[in-house]
Amino acid sequence: MTIGGAGNRTTVKTRLPHVLMAAGILYFLVPLLWVVIAATKSQPDLLDSPALWFAEFNLVENIEQLFREDDGVYGQWLLNTALYSGLSALGATALAAAAGYGLARFSFVGKRLFETALLGMIMVPATALVLPTYLILSELEIVDTMWAVILPSLLSPFGAYLVRVYVAESVPVELIDAARIDRAGELRIFWQIAVPMMRPAIVTVFLFTLVATWNNYFLPLVMLSDADLYPLTVGLTTWFNTAQQEAGTRMLFNLVVTGSLLAIVPLVVAFVLLQRFWRSGAAAGALK
Amino acid sequence: MTRSIPITAPAADSPPPPHRPVESRSRRRSRRVTAHPVAGALFVLPFFLVVVAFLIVPLGYAFWLSLSSKSLALGTRFTGIDNYVRAFTDPVLLDGLLRVVLFGLVQIPIMLGIALAGALTLDAVTTKFALAFRLIAFMPYAVPAVVGALMWGFLYSRTFGPFADLPTFVGGDPIDFFSSSLLLLSLGNIVTWAWTGYNMIILYSALQGVPREMYEAAVIDGATPVQIALRVKVPAIKQAISLAAIFTVIGTMQFFTEPAIMARFAPQISAGYTPNLYAYNQAFAYSDFHYSAALSFALGFLVFVVAYAFVFINRRRGARS
Amino acid sequence: MLGTNWLAKARMAKLGRGLAVCGLLAVAACGGATGEDSGPVRVSVWAWYPEFKGVVEAFNASHSDIQVDWTNVGTGPDQYAKLKTAFTAGKGAPDVAMVEFQQIPTFVILDGLADMGPYGANEDKDLYAEWAWSQATDGEKVYAIPVDGGPMALMYRKDLFDQHGIPVPTTWAEYADAAARIKAVDPDAYIASFGSDGGWLNGLMWQAGCRPYGYSQAKAKDEVKINLTAPECKKVVDLYGDLVDKGLMAQDKFFTADATAALDSGKYWTWAAAGWTPGYVAGSLKNTAGKWAVAPMPQWTAGADEQGDWGGSTFTVTKQAKNPQAATTVARELFGRSKAAWDIGLNKAFLYPLVKDVAADPAFTGKAYEFFNGQKVNEIFVPVSQKLGEFQYTPFQDFVFKDLNDRTAEAMSGGREWSTVLEETQKNVVAYAEKQGFKVSR
Repeated sequence: MTIGGAGNRTTVKTRLPHVLMAAGILYFLVPLLWVVIAATKSQPDLLDSPALWFAEFNLVENIEQLFREDDGVYGQWLLNTALYSGLSALGATALAAAAGYGLARFSFVGKRLFETALLGMIMVPATALVLPTYLILSELEIVDTMWAVILPSLLSPFGAYLVRVYVAESVPVELIDAARIDRAGELRIFWQIAVPMMRPAIVTVFLFTLVATWNNYFLPLVMLSDADLYPLTVGLTTWFNTAQQEAGTRMLFNLVVTGSLLAIVPLVVAFVLLQRFWRSGAAAGALK
Repeated sequence: MTRSIPITAPAADSPPPPHRPVESRSRRRSRRVTAHPVAGALFVLPFFLVVVAFLIVPLGYAFWLSLSSKSLALGTRFTGIDNYVRAFTDPVLLDGLLRVVLFGLVQIPIMLGIALAGALTLDAVTTKFALAFRLIAFMPYAVPAVVGALMWGFLYSRTFGPFADLPTFVGGDPIDFFSSSLLLLSLGNIVTWAWTGYNMIILYSALQGVPREMYEAAVIDGATPVQIALRVKVPAIKQAISLAAIFTVIGTMQFFTEPAIMARFAPQISAGYTPNLYAYNQAFAYSDFHYSAALSFALGFLVFVVAYAFVFINRRRGARS
Repeated sequence: MLGTNWLAKARMAKLGRGLAVCGLLAVAACGGATGEDSGPVRVSVWAWYPEFKGVVEAFNASHSDIQVDWTNVGTGPDQYAKLKTAFTAGKGAPDVAMVEFQQIPTFVILDGLADMGPYGANEDKDLYAEWAWSQATDGEKVYAIPVDGGPMALMYRKDLFDQHGIPVPTTWAEYADAAARIKAVDPDAYIASFGSDGGWLNGLMWQAGCRPYGYSQAKAKDEVKINLTAPECKKVVDLYGDLVDKGLMAQDKFFTADATAALDSGKYWTWAAAGWTPGYVAGSLKNTAGKWAVAPMPQWTAGADEQGDWGGSTFTVTKQAKNPQAATTVARELFGRSKAAWDIGLNKAFLYPLVKDVAADPAFTGKAYEFFNGQKVNEIFVPVSQKLGEFQYTPFQDFVFKDLNDRTAEAMSGGREWSTVLEETQKNVVAYAEKQGFKVSR
């Protein structure tokens, strides 16, 4: 979907919107700035020095300690998070893309029913699913493995819905029919004609599912008990609890803060860099 | 905008002029006959299998669990709808529900209001500064809810945070963000911080899709940008606004992570502070998986009903106007 | 001795194996029990003790037939949540799990814990403090092996009390007086904080002679005693509630950064703390190190010697243990008589030992703490532990502590009279217990 460039919009230069936006920037940025600043402090400075200004610069030591603590388990968490969210997002996107395309451009028995159910599926609270899923996966003996986190994350009704809406709008039927007349296989049509045209929707679904898994806390909390399999969210909360419980024996608040910073950075960067791609996809979802 | 989607909008709606010409539905239907019916089903099949495995089966299992009870002393027995009767007469659950509804009634309009204002501003103002605002406002979305809640927990604290002591500079008492009177506001702020930018971008993207022709006449007539925004743009993206509202309502009803994390700072967050937290505690603290399943199921059903009612009312209103 | 890196290597190997096998084979074949190769019996352990790695290494180095695989799955409630799901699912629990005293009946009634009696655990009866052994066992059934405890005593800012000529309270009445005098000399200071900690409040009630719970599965599975409204229990909440209402007691939750900072800034002058506290505070209170001292707990009756306990933990063997005999050995010997383990436990993890010999060892009782300006604080804690009597918990202690916490939170925010806190909790707990099928007595 092409979107009118900013250039053809009326350029309004008034002071009020800018003042309001400045206030907004302050609001959204200050907590993030705090994390950045706090990550440069040692534990005593974290407790003592002014919150929004630098004390002795300790970032390098914090990062070193972060990757050393508990035999470098933080690096493992980072890797796990990347692995889980990468695989989940790839899988969920592939499933959603195929399903969305199938729903938008084919008719078959039960299609209407399935489409109507799709919106309902989006509304099912994730927490309602986690517990029974745990009990089922435990029967299959795959709890406490990476699959216990990845497999349930493949479910993205919202992704399928978004692709379906996008395809209906942006992949012309004529093109597909023309390809069929040329006796192209359905899979080839999907892969060579539809997928390239669906790219914004696919990028959007990929990023949204990536974030959803990257940020997921509840599912891995329930599914995993081996600290070496934890993602960042669960690992950091474990450390935070330990920090509260054992303040005297281990210095962990600074690690929790530094670890949080490093957990945020990859996603923020990815989103800022990929903004142009996913925004048009989001628009399609939003318009409906 | 485009009304070819049976899920959300019946064809009876009168669409505003679409962005790009789209053929009528009947024409598409007739052409599509050439497609393989089986091929279509095959495209959907893998997704469908995942839906069965990780949605339908767990939901069914949860429902089955919820129909029996396990008491610590008596063991497990079939109790039919007893758990649901208990749930809807459980003062703890009802308190939690009321709290979440109150929270949503205040927080959702504020957040979506700010998001809409921001989106309209972004749509009208195209300076570099606006671009920076857009990027920064969106960043919190990339922060895991757990990390966000921990962060705000630190920021609210008197020791780590810059805010609690602000009133002391003018001679006041430090603010206790975890006190029961401020707690809901403190939580609301976390959610607002995390999700405003996301909603703003969604609405902004929708605004970008509004064809310029729609308000060119208004511009020529000398309407102010604010008038255009309120009279043309907002009505044009009504669907996007209500969709954002539905998803926010769904999210609010499932409120869990922030209060769960904040409970480590604030003893005022009780075991049943939100319905979802209550369901979690029933299962993982009190080992009552059956009642927990019933709570989750009832909550899911409520969310479902509320969201569908919202869609329905919205559609009716859309059809009238 | 094994290299320090072995654990990390084992972890990597485990993960690598998991990835390879899971990637190649069908999904259902992944995870679960490790292969039954010959060699030493491997026993999995869940625990969150600080510095526990060294303890595990010491065990593995001294045992050739049994090797421990240790996992830290989270602190307290996090680990219990996992245990409860594992017990519900019927699989996924470790062989040995660290469990705090107040949780033992809960896991017993969930049918999660194995009786170690048949595996010789009763031989350890005389090794441990009596109160701890009685909480860990139910008649001849041994559900847990005690490790550490938390006999309570009063930590106070000696410098400030001396400077202002306020006598260190020996009774709770004097404590209330001291609270007022502290407020008078420093309006920003408090005598302490009401920390919203179930175990802490429980310890205070224990010390007041309050015995609100009674449960013995061996006697009757479905009978439980709940009596939170006894005068011995009420007087604790009344005293503290009164101090909070008068603004003489702060309200920071214990162990938050705010509470820690307040301890370190002169904002709190005392802390009714436990035997593990010296280690806990020594690392985090840098500004006030050397200014603190420990005194016996204030008494409800002048000259009495009533004591309480806050915290403490045990090792349990789960019913899912593949080799209960080996698991029992692990539970008994990880700490038990192990000199190497207690060396770490006392000097690095700062556990208060429930092994009587270790607690009585002059190396422990005679240890001078810099943080307490050279005071030998264990000379106070050890007699407290010896004095502790029997105290039982309910098989749903999480519910009790949560409800108590929620009700006191209401009282702190002014939404409830302090005098009704225990009555309301009593009512809620009884209703809950009856719903769970218990016959409730007072």
